[in-house]
Amino acid sequence: MGKKMKIKAKEKGGVVKVKAMFTSLMADKEEAEKKKIKAEYISYIVGKANGKVVFEATTSGFMAENPLLKFSFTGAKKGDELEFTLTDNHGETQVGKKKIK
Amino acid sequence: MERRKFLNLGLVAAAAVLTPMTDLFAVNFRETKPKAWAAEKSADAIKEMFGAGELKKTDKIKFVAPKLAENGGSIPITLSTDLDIETIALFQDANPRAATVVFSVPEGQKVDYSFRIKMRQTAVVTIVAKAKDGTLYTTGKEIDVSIGGCGG
Repeated sequence: MGKKMKIKAKEKGGVVKVKAMFTSLMADKEEAEKKKIKAEYISYIVGKANGKVVFEATTSGFMAENPLLKFSFTGAKKGDELEFTLTDNHGETQVGKKKIK
Repeated sequence: MERRKFLNLGLVAAAAVLTPMTDLFAVNFRETKPKAWAAEKSADAIKEMFGAGELKKTDKIKFVAPKLAENGGSIPITLSTDLDIETIALFQDANPRAATVVFSVPEGQKVDYSFRIKMRQTAVVTIVAKAKDGTLYTTGKEIDVSIGGCGG
């Protein structure tokens, strides 16, 4: 599982715009075989704010390396915390938090 | 006897309506629909994920992608719509398996996602979205890839 998780979240007029970058090779088995590495990709991403799910995606190794996601959501304001939980294909999880600006 | 039968039918119908509503959040589609992730062709993956229902072509889902991708390892995609969508997914026929990403749209949120995908070769990319009322919408386009991604 990658180490770095970069999250940017900015609220304006009730809408929170989010940019998030996760570190992962996103290599499924065919690609891993070619590069002679272990297959590793993020398979599930959940974003929560104020205890509510605001983002949810099931992903595959066909997302580009180091996935960059952009999305927006409503229901949070400046100072609230946005929390991402990533699960990879081996079942390992990683959590990253960021205050909404 | 007639009345009893009628009541029973009512109970069964009520149960059928109630059950699918219990868990709207937190669906890891890899666990619930493993077959969809193993399918090689978009059409098969879509059937496994969304069932064999009719797909309605729509222009109400905005699907932004380059016509020609120079680098197949990182193709920017943007999906947005004002339709009331529950699930939206991307499938392609360029890689060993078709299912690429499935977003579950949380209650009260709109579809507005940007992300990047990999494609080994030129292929058609299909978007399928399931609306809250159960309608399946679809849109898609071909993306030309000059240098394949996916380590190819």
